Amino acid sequence: MINKIKHYWLVMRRPSVHYSLGFLTMGGFLMGIIFWGGFNTALEFTNTEEFCTGCHEMRNNVYQELQQTIHFSNRSGVRAKCSDCHVPHDWTDKLARKMQASKEVWGKLFGTINTREKFEEKRRELAEHEWARFKSNDSLECRNCHNFEYMDFTSQSKRAAKQHSTALAKGEKTCIDCHKGIAHQLPDMTGVEGW
Amino acid sequence: MSEKVIVCFFVLSLMAFNTIANESIATLRGQTSLSNEATPPLMEKVENRDIKRKRNYPMQPPTIPHKINNYQVDLKTNKCLTCHSRKYTEQSQAPMISVTHYMDRDGNFLADVSPRRYFCKQCHVTQTVATPLVDNSFMDIDDILKAERNQR
Amino acid sequence: MTMNTWMNHTMPKLSRREFIKANAVATAAAAAGISIPVSAKNLSTTHNQNTLTWAKAPCRFCGTGCSVNVATKKGRIVATHGDINSPVNKGLNCVKGYFLSKILYGTDRLTTPLLRKTNGKYDKNGEFTPVSWDEAFDVMAEKFKTALKNKGPKSVGMFGSGQWTVWEGYAAVKLMKAGFLSNNIDPNARHCMASAVGGFMRTFGIDEPMGCYDDFEHADAFVLWGSNMAEMHPILWTRLTDRRLSAPHVKVSVLSTFEHRSFELADIPIIFTPQTDMAILNYIANYIIQNNMVDQSFVEKHVNFRKGNDDIGYGLRAEHVLQKNAKNAKKAGGSQPISFEDFAKFVSKYDVDYVSKLSGVSTKSLEKLAKIYADPNTKVMSLWTMGVNQHTRGVWTNNLLYNIHLLTGKISTPGNSPFSLTGQPSACGTAREVGTFSHRLPADMVVKNPKHRKIAEHKWKLPEGILPDWNGAHAVKQNRDLKDGNINAYWVQVNNNVQAAPNMNQETLPGYRNPDNFVVVSDAYPTVTAQAADLVLPTAMWVEKEGAYGNAERRTQFWHQMVEAPGESKSDLWQLVEFSKRFTTDEVWPEHVLNKNPSYKNKTLYDVLFTNGQVDAFPLSETDSSFNNHESKDFGFYLQKGLFEEYASFGRGKAHDLADFDTYHETRGLRWPVVNGKETLWRFREGSDPYVKTGKGFEFYGKKDGRAVIFALPYEPPAESPDKEFDLWLSTGRVLEHWHSGSMTQRVPELYRAFPDAVVFMHPQDARDRQLRRGDEVRIISRRGEIKTRVETRGRNKPPQGLVFVPWFDASQLINKVTLDATDPISKQTDFKKCAVKIISARA
Repeated sequence: MINKIKHYWLVMRRPSVHYSLGFLTMGGFLMGIIFWGGFNTALEFTNTEEFCTGCHEMRNNVYQELQQTIHFSNRSGVRAKCSDCHVPHDWTDKLARKMQASKEVWGKLFGTINTREKFEEKRRELAEHEWARFKSNDSLECRNCHNFEYMDFTSQSKRAAKQHSTALAKGEKTCIDCHKGIAHQLPDMTGVEGW
Repeated sequence: MSEKVIVCFFVLSLMAFNTIANESIATLRGQTSLSNEATPPLMEKVENRDIKRKRNYPMQPPTIPHKINNYQVDLKTNKCLTCHSRKYTEQSQAPMISVTHYMDRDGNFLADVSPRRYFCKQCHVTQTVATPLVDNSFMDIDDILKAERNQR
Repeated sequence: MTMNTWMNHTMPKLSRREFIKANAVATAAAAAGISIPVSAKNLSTTHNQNTLTWAKAPCRFCGTGCSVNVATKKGRIVATHGDINSPVNKGLNCVKGYFLSKILYGTDRLTTPLLRKTNGKYDKNGEFTPVSWDEAFDVMAEKFKTALKNKGPKSVGMFGSGQWTVWEGYAAVKLMKAGFLSNNIDPNARHCMASAVGGFMRTFGIDEPMGCYDDFEHADAFVLWGSNMAEMHPILWTRLTDRRLSAPHVKVSVLSTFEHRSFELADIPIIFTPQTDMAILNYIANYIIQNNMVDQSFVEKHVNFRKGNDDIGYGLRAEHVLQKNAKNAKKAGGSQPISFEDFAKFVSKYDVDYVSKLSGVSTKSLEKLAKIYADPNTKVMSLWTMGVNQHTRGVWTNNLLYNIHLLTGKISTPGNSPFSLTGQPSACGTAREVGTFSHRLPADMVVKNPKHRKIAEHKWKLPEGILPDWNGAHAVKQNRDLKDGNINAYWVQVNNNVQAAPNMNQETLPGYRNPDNFVVVSDAYPTVTAQAADLVLPTAMWVEKEGAYGNAERRTQFWHQMVEAPGESKSDLWQLVEFSKRFTTDEVWPEHVLNKNPSYKNKTLYDVLFTNGQVDAFPLSETDSSFNNHESKDFGFYLQKGLFEEYASFGRGKAHDLADFDTYHETRGLRWPVVNGKETLWRFREGSDPYVKTGKGFEFYGKKDGRAVIFALPYEPPAESPDKEFDLWLSTGRVLEHWHSGSMTQRVPELYRAFPDAVVFMHPQDARDRQLRRGDEVRIISRRGEIKTRVETRGRNKPPQGLVFVPWFDASQLINKVTLDATDPISKQTDFKKCAVKIISARA
């Protein structure tokens, strides 16, 4: 075993005998592109609705609730899939989130929310994770699509226009403060500010 | 040949079963005969203008002047109260639910909204912009008093 | 405490009028928050102007039976208010109740009789022409007499209503059974409560709930079986919500085939495959037995066990293959006695895994539910309505619900209550108690029992042996008989059966339009049933006549006439009694009876039925002079009081005791049996029910041996399930904003705008799978017919995949063209909740 490792280490250290420098660097470059592309494709696949709802925990609980909401189907057809809200768009944060997602694999393996009852019990905790994330980044995932600078208050309802032009404009509130439950049902809201 | 005659006769008598005079009195159904199907009207939007509507008499629960899609009211939370309860009306400037909502069934005042009033939609409904099929000649008390004065 | 002392405690001696006024003014003031009189300039200032006349009435709508105060001014209703002092609703109404003041004022109110005519003569295919009452009754009497002469009493029929007042139903029963000697009278309550009645009679031998609404404030757990109380019994829902949210240990479980508004309060929500509610109930019985939670002493003292006949068919026409294959279709209600051990063995096959697989419900939820019933310290109130009753095994399901309450002894005590909720405002008070059914007589008696007939003949002062002894045609059979030409003269009152009855294209419509038939419809508004009729009679509604309703908790409530009916419209009662004048005994009674009883010869039916010394016993001077009473004025005596007292004599002393007539005008209703002025809250229990003998503890005195019956009954599949072509379940029902067929609520602008048109509630994935989106026009097609509607994927009802729901309030979307006329073979009640449909785009 040790000899095998020693052998391969020597091969790696030896300069190339048959292939030119250009071939190796270009080859490496091309392979890098293919790998990078593949990596990203796989990564983006984990951001699709099909992937997320592949697990029954998501499909039977939050996905069912989503289908009744405006982010699923609306006037313009411009809609959000799971990752639009739950996965940061920025690459480094996205990677960090994906690494954090290994916790969800653990949850799947050990069935932490694999029944409706278990899910309901954890709903408040899961919701709070997301609210905290939105609060800490000033509802960044909302703002990725809903750009405050370009909001036309004259096209909104009176109540919406009023709230957006005051509390939101002044930065006193961020999207998630009022729009909890916009895509999935709310958990028990006892003690949540404003509810 | 005689079979064809019998079939024709059968079909005609079946049609007779379904013959109804031309004019329909079933106002809510319009002029579609009972054996036909009309194209259903398009789904109407819920009025969202936040404009209060006149009530027919003081004790009538006001209709909701805005959309309430996905406003969750259940064991977990009551979305309506996040604007309409006493606590939040200053922030929201929404009308406060009346004092009757803070009374239990024996008329005692409670610290918070009475559970018997928890499900708002049992009394308060939104209004679509649909035009009623039939007019209603209800007169509220002011109309009646006015008519009375005009008669004198 | 007697009624008198109670009244003295709660209020000083007041005259009836003073009582009403005092209460009403206080009510109005308290509600409006103003003291009277006021003197600001922009208000109605003079006392005369500011006062309204208030009087009490029960709400016109559902079986909850809320009490309202109605304000009138200048002969019009200007406001209504939930009666603050009524124990039922304590000031609350639901949105429909809050618009009661508008239901009389649709501008298309019928004001004259309308007869189809061509060239001045009656023609079934003619146009509706206004005629006088005289002419209307002339033609109608001629048609009824012809039918009776040619084919006898089986050729006439009447379809009445759980929205008839008590005395309207009673007068109709007399006219049909004692006048025309026909038992072909059935109410629309057949579509709604017949299975509940069947359940009561089989388990207890006597009808109507043993608990009352007070159970809401005492229960520790509520279980809703096939009932959407949040929309259909809203005020009872507020009482349940009040209890649940005020006492954190209280739990609510809701069971249905789709998610609806009542699930908003559910701690244990359960969606089950249609029809498997029976299996779940048997599982709970099994759980109770397996875990030794049976109340042994209660069962030993008060319960018998029986095995019901199974394989009883589906109430379809005899030629149908399902009927031909049913072993016990003719003996559907039969049963054999068994032992407790037999019963335990019978239910043992319903273990949690089998039932979970059959019903699609998780084992965890099933066990949680079973624990509620099994735990002796949890007081359970089970509530059910149409999901259980409109069911091809509705009677069985009612029996199974009583089983689990009887096994645990959780019955007839505050909070322990299997409560069958009634849908209509007087299905109890009128249809069931008065017996306006094809097989019944008043006070739970039946036409087939010679002893019962004798009692009725004696009370009605009729010749002996005259009452018909055959079961008449029930609702579904009446439509079949109309189609087949067996019933030729037919009168429909206070219902919209063309819209309400199942399988409209194949049965209802051909029946009404059969050229051999003459169909009369009495209604306030021109409905689709009126459209299908030959003669339409304009009818007074609600407070345009003096009336009485009996609600789901056995509370009978009276009201006075407060406004005049428009045009020439008259109440159903007036129509029935007036029509009876057109017939003589010589014309409609058999010759041999008249020969044996010559004193009855040459009398009109009016003489024999309504001026028999009893119905006309009370003079006009006894009516309340502050209210009009158009029927009594017309006939010259206090008609309602006479009818009521004659009717009440059937039940007094027979555990159906009603108080005397005048008392009801003074109170906010009383729950029968009212014995010595005291109402009964919980029946069958010693101390609370005066009919239970001392020392008995419990006595189910409807049965000869005082024991209730636990029935062993299996799960059996529905009549029509989805298959490859018709791949969806169709369930039908109502929505909060509209009452029944919408003939009243669709004419109130606010209610109409709240929910203008029917839709098909569908799961969004089911829609996508069929290339449909919200708002698309679709055809809902079954083997029997189709309608066009629009898709709703985001509505208040969230069906699971594989099921759709359509409400039936829309006259333009007659969903009963699609439904199946399969019934419970025992109760003959239609299953409106299960048939198979397919849905395709209307553009395809």
